[in-house]
Amino acid sequence: MRPSRRDILRAGISVGLGAALDGLSPLPGLGLAFAEGNAAGPLLVVLHLRGGADGLHLLSPADDPDFVAARQSELRVATTGADAGHRIDHSPDERIDFRLHPQANALFDLYREGHLALIPAAGLAAAIRSHFVAIDMIEHGVADAAALARSDSGWLARYLRGQTKATSALTVAAAGAPSGEYLGWGKALSVPDLGGGFGVPGVPPMAQLLGKVYADAQGAVGAAGRDALAAIKLVDEHLPRDDQGKPIAYQPAQKGAYDLAGDFARPLKVVAQLAKLDVGLSVATVDFGGWDTHENQPGRFRVLVERLSVGLSAFWNDLAPRHDRLTIVVQTEFGRRFRSNRSAGTDHGRGSLMMVLGGKVQGGVCYGSWPGLKAKDLDEGVDLAVATDYRQVVSEVLAAHRGGPVAKDVFPGYAGQARLGLFRDDRLSHG
Amino acid sequence: MAQRWDAAMVAAALGRAGFGGSPDEVTRVASIGWEDWVEEQLRPTDGVDSDCQRRLRQLKLRIKYNAAEKWSGVDEMRPLKTLDQPIESIWPLITKRAEMDGAERRRPRDEVIAATILRACYSRWGLREALVGFWHDHFNVDAYGSEQVAVALPSYDRDVIRAHALGNFRGFLEAVATSAAMLYYLSNHSSRAGAANENYARELFELHTLGRDAYFNDRYDRWRDVPGALRGAPEGYIDQDVYEAARALTGWTVEDGTNIDAQRKLPETGRFVYVESWHDGYQKRVLAREFDAFQPAMADGRKVLDLVAEHPARFLCTKLCRRFIGGKVGHDTLAAAIETWTRNRARPDQIARVMRVILTSKDFAQGAGAKLRRPLNLAAAFVRGVGLDVAPTEGLANTLAGAGQRLFGWPTPMGLPDDPRMFIGTNAMRQRWALLLGLAENWWGTGVFDATHAMGAPSPHLAVERFLTGLLGRADPTLTASILSGLGMPESVSVGLQGAPDTQKKLARIAAACGMTPAFQAA
Repeated sequence: MRPSRRDILRAGISVGLGAALDGLSPLPGLGLAFAEGNAAGPLLVVLHLRGGADGLHLLSPADDPDFVAARQSELRVATTGADAGHRIDHSPDERIDFRLHPQANALFDLYREGHLALIPAAGLAAAIRSHFVAIDMIEHGVADAAALARSDSGWLARYLRGQTKATSALTVAAAGAPSGEYLGWGKALSVPDLGGGFGVPGVPPMAQLLGKVYADAQGAVGAAGRDALAAIKLVDEHLPRDDQGKPIAYQPAQKGAYDLAGDFARPLKVVAQLAKLDVGLSVATVDFGGWDTHENQPGRFRVLVERLSVGLSAFWNDLAPRHDRLTIVVQTEFGRRFRSNRSAGTDHGRGSLMMVLGGKVQGGVCYGSWPGLKAKDLDEGVDLAVATDYRQVVSEVLAAHRGGPVAKDVFPGYAGQARLGLFRDDRLSHG
Repeated sequence: MAQRWDAAMVAAALGRAGFGGSPDEVTRVASIGWEDWVEEQLRPTDGVDSDCQRRLRQLKLRIKYNAAEKWSGVDEMRPLKTLDQPIESIWPLITKRAEMDGAERRRPRDEVIAATILRACYSRWGLREALVGFWHDHFNVDAYGSEQVAVALPSYDRDVIRAHALGNFRGFLEAVATSAAMLYYLSNHSSRAGAANENYARELFELHTLGRDAYFNDRYDRWRDVPGALRGAPEGYIDQDVYEAARALTGWTVEDGTNIDAQRKLPETGRFVYVESWHDGYQKRVLAREFDAFQPAMADGRKVLDLVAEHPARFLCTKLCRRFIGGKVGHDTLAAAIETWTRNRARPDQIARVMRVILTSKDFAQGAGAKLRRPLNLAAAFVRGVGLDVAPTEGLANTLAGAGQRLFGWPTPMGLPDDPRMFIGTNAMRQRWALLLGLAENWWGTGVFDATHAMGAPSPHLAVERFLTGLLGRADPTLTASILSGLGMPESVSVGLQGAPDTQKKLARIAAACGMTPAFQAA
């Protein structure tokens, strides 16, 4: 079915497959190894809200007088009335009534239950109001133009390379290609949808042909063809099939749980399915587009938040048996302008909201400091400042995922901020 | 100084400068010389593109929807009707939305998609088609994200992109800025004095003209600190330039029925209109130039376009060189392109002159085989190379999308990237293979491919050689052997009897196999 709204269009995913267990079977051509049997190691999902999500509308300082003065009511979360938001405890400033968007019901529950941590005023240390530069910096794990110019790889690629135990990884993508975070990590598999299986077109004769003509081919295309054939084989072989050999559509743990998540459901289901196929999935990246709300934000944002909230909670419940080994980090390239524009929208800003969901997360708490919204506190007098560097959040997530300190080259030049303490201990159970 | 190239060289060149060529075209170009082909292509006229025009007239595209209270159901093969229509003739699809199914509103977009595929496969003006594709990426709009953009797409494609693809950049920029498609896509239609909408203004600087490397983000509001600013020629822009340009462009909007005040309402035509009372008339400063308060209608916005159009020589020439050369872009080629761009700023054929420099450069000749084909190029070059008769369908368009190229459906304003990594991921490779096999085997109702008319019932060996020569300009013996062995076909035995359905199917599969090889993935 064709998506009908811009805000759900770019739902892409990338999934890294890695294995850290015994019983590895090597896959010819790729140098890939994957685990047989119950290979459920730690799983990290990096979710990017593309377009610059308005953190101030997702978690509003709802009764802050400067905020109320700067924005029309439809671009703030209300404290009273039928559309009032969810008042949260352990906010960054107890003098202010912080409220989650009214459509974020499931996120509010996950927060209250202690699984979800919120990091307001998080983002990129450099003042970048360009989508494409900000995304590049975040994917490369840097925070200034000079470092970006020097960088030739994504932070996830450097992290995976440092994982001595992980033999290899693949990537899976709905939008066509692995995200820039994997740049420099060749073993990437992109999968948009597993509904129709994942075979070579025209199997089996064409698979044989392709194996032959790509076997010795030089260059990037030759390597891409060989990697694709190996990855297709790996995934397709593991897909459950009916008597006629047709792939069986994925059945989430709870029927219909993803239904209200729109197109955001598709990549989440692919990740959940691959996680359950026990092919050694260890890292996944998921994109959720449409957050660039320059106009008509109230209605669009409601839909986006509902999909985000429903989708994340469906995914969380779908993978319930492995909660203690699951971490999801939610990021965006920047927040949006403190003052709304006259198109009932908001333009590009600075600080936004990051979220971390996981079984070992010390949730139910907001982390990091709150810079405030007085004119003197705003970045350049116009935007919520960035108090927490996104690399601080991701560093703590990686330390927990890896079970030890993160190598310095993952975020080159990053000295680190005060530890937030997002996890109960920096070590997830490994298998 | 005419360059004489062999068929393989010409086939690769046609693949980069256009969408490939038929074996006859390759022979012709090898004979007249590359420079003559380029000269021919820089002056395209529709009148002599009769095969493509005929196919456009004859093409029927399915439309299907169910009956509802206000309309009856439709399931028909309908000719393309919106491509020649002025925007006001099809804007009623928006204003009378309650009276028809949504498929009718998407129809203008789907017709442009079908026409784009058809032209890629059959137009003799391959360079124009390639440039049209380049500019659609550069001035990207997403016709899947908004109904207004879908309805405005025929006019955007025809009056904005095609009309200026080989023309003058400053004129191009204003055509884009005043198009309903862009005004809706980047929200400028709703921008008002007071708190302007910055969406279009930011991408005007970052994506359309100066480029992201010219963004001095760390200087935010200190315009005097931008190099060159005090001489009135800043090397880049700052956030405050974006804010000010947004103010300058307030009031540039679309006749879409919006109320202006209690008494006045805009007509509903989809055409551009300037609304004075929505414009922020006070003084501004953009790119270190002062704008006086209360200038005549549209003067502020036009001055912004004048200023940004002064800049983009390096950014745009780099982008054009990367797209068309494929391989290494040397300093001399880039410098010559920039010099040509700059010297011809006022000329109506500015872009054509730059393309002449790029396509006749040493780097272009040396870039053969270095450019990964994007999915549309892959499909069209296959169609041309093996001689398929294709009528585009939704299934074909969806497979192009699966391979990474959803035509007119890239959601972010950066446009579909030129980066080859976008198109060789696991799934992208899988879909590239499916694209060629599906075309050859008629998976999506695009037409039966019957090569027996042209070649009878040859031996598999001969068939592979013929198809490889059509696609690549030559048949490498190692590759031929590898394909035959991969297909498990004995070398010398005939593929069957001429006219037998099995023969036709085998030949189609052999053609697809030749297209699926690594060698054909790049040009």
